[in-house]
Amino acid sequence: MRRAVLLSNPETKRAVYLQKAAIQEQISLHILDWKDWKKHLPDGELFLKIDPPLWDSCILEELDMLTEAYERELEAAAYLTEERTIEFLNTPAVITELLDKRSCKKRLIQAGLPVTEFLGADSEDHMDHAYRNMEELLEAMKRCQVYQIFLKPVRGSGAAGVTAFRLQPGTGRMSLYTCALHVPEKGILNTKRLRNYTDVSEIQLFLNKILKTDCIAERWHPKAAVHGFSYDLRVVVQDGNVDYVLARLSKGPVTNLQLNNHPMSLEDTGLSLQTQEKIKRLCVEAAACYPGLGTVGIDILLEKGSLNPRIIEMNAQGDLIYQDIYHENSIYRHQARKIKAWLSG
Amino acid sequence: MKVEFMNETKSKTYEYEYEEYEDGNKSAKTVIEDILGDPEFQELTEVVIGDWGEAWDEDCQAIIDGIVERAECFSHIERLFIGDMDYESCEVSWIMQGNYSQLWAAMPQLKALTIKGSTDLELGTVSHENLEELTIICGGLPENVLMSIQEAHLPNLKKLLLYLGIEDYGFDGDPDRIRTFLDKSDFPKLHYLGLTDSEIQDEIAEVVLDSKYIGQIRTLDLSMGSLTDKGAQMILDNISSYPNIEVLDVHYHYMSSEMVRKLEDLNQHCIAVDASEQNEPYISSIDGEAYYTAMLTE
Repeated sequence: MRRAVLLSNPETKRAVYLQKAAIQEQISLHILDWKDWKKHLPDGELFLKIDPPLWDSCILEELDMLTEAYERELEAAAYLTEERTIEFLNTPAVITELLDKRSCKKRLIQAGLPVTEFLGADSEDHMDHAYRNMEELLEAMKRCQVYQIFLKPVRGSGAAGVTAFRLQPGTGRMSLYTCALHVPEKGILNTKRLRNYTDVSEIQLFLNKILKTDCIAERWHPKAAVHGFSYDLRVVVQDGNVDYVLARLSKGPVTNLQLNNHPMSLEDTGLSLQTQEKIKRLCVEAAACYPGLGTVGIDILLEKGSLNPRIIEMNAQGDLIYQDIYHENSIYRHQARKIKAWLSG
Repeated sequence: MKVEFMNETKSKTYEYEYEEYEDGNKSAKTVIEDILGDPEFQELTEVVIGDWGEAWDEDCQAIIDGIVERAECFSHIERLFIGDMDYESCEVSWIMQGNYSQLWAAMPQLKALTIKGSTDLELGTVSHENLEELTIICGGLPENVLMSIQEAHLPNLKKLLLYLGIEDYGFDGDPDRIRTFLDKSDFPKLHYLGLTDSEIQDEIAEVVLDSKYIGQIRTLDLSMGSLTDKGAQMILDNISSYPNIEVLDVHYHYMSSEMVRKLEDLNQHCIAVDASEQNEPYISSIDGEAYYTAMLTE
């Protein structure tokens, strides 16, 4: 017997709105709770969608440990295929691969797709290089003559730990924007408020802490702006087609919508149809780099001026878009239809 | 060079993209020749100059000097904006400006000047018969700029909009200094007064309400700062004495909802009020302090 299963957290919007879509498609969706999923896994052939687990900790130093624990769960899910037939919406392997921002970026570069550049993109070892402290980072910025960068924990999601940093080489002035907050004796906490630091000693303290987690450093490309807000795009690609595009407008360099930034429809950005098509083609090509990836959220930066798109990152679990679930619920309806086809196949 | 053409205002923005200035071919030194080489330039009445490339490292003096040297070519330009760039390109407080002292005589037809950034900004001796609008957007307005405006001869100035900013980014004044500024300056035709983006917005409100301009302006702009119920109550208590005021802009503020409602009720008294963008102070989890930050602090 074929069954559809969502491995998730039952109270989350991800679970609630996929269930709504399933009801609309008149299919039965069994929701497994991450807490005890192995005990309650139904028998038979399964269609399995895996949502991200909820993490209690907001301490960035624990990101690696939490991600590793998550990866072990994904391995366990992958192992299920040894015993029976399982069709994954996104395979555990591809979810794991996309948890690593460095590996994802390398793969896209190898495919010849434009991404936000690594710091020192012209050197050979730049992709794997991790800067251990502020001194090393500043040395690289000066050597590469790249004076504004983003630092991102390799295994973070959302805005967790994302840091925008710029240096005025002539004067040594610095400015750093981040939602992460260093709290003595606790560590670096992820918060929902963007802060700006300009005091060099404060910045040094912060950078030396955040660089202890594995971070990638990439050039801060000035982003396109509309109505006085800079923005990037979240594009959801499902089964080779773009299903949703949302602009995320911000008054600060970090655009994630959890930070009280503003969403805007693609149409309202005023982008030409030609640019829209270019973005969509890029996203479809990026998704195609990953077999086993049925649905993906791709963040796209449009360069200020030229509006050339660059891939910021890809998220195998980036399909939750509030503006969609509260209206058409089209993303989850697509998934429900896919499940329905499999169930009746 | 990226250009943006606005038909309605005959305005065009000139700015370089990263690739253009990265290899050193384009900079502030090439902006004027690129503008003059633009076939549409002759049709314009407004020129907006955005990112000239690494504006935190190279000032825009070459642009100002270029306009002065080729003043006859710019004789049809009535509106000029130098430094129109956002934080994606450069922190406002890092934009390296220049000395405008030669510009006043070189552009006698100029009606509106907007300057963004105050690092190395010098206005010099300001004397201009036709300038109607002066706007300075910055993270902190320095004393030398305030003094130049205070002593300016601008008999036709109708709109003055100053971002006062905060101490960390160059504002070295206080309420008494602003009081002196309002007292000593002389703008007989002023009808729009904006003293905005201040971390002492309540005190600024008090000083403005006590100034000679309050009886002549039509627009009072105290927006983008840390205005609380204290400053708003002073406005409420006094504004009815000045029927000349038609517009009150206090958007981006820290007022209570009740105070916002009271101010918006002024609409019934023919005062258009913008009290949007209500903010709540940030309470530090570390020291319990409440922080009221101005809008533009970079």
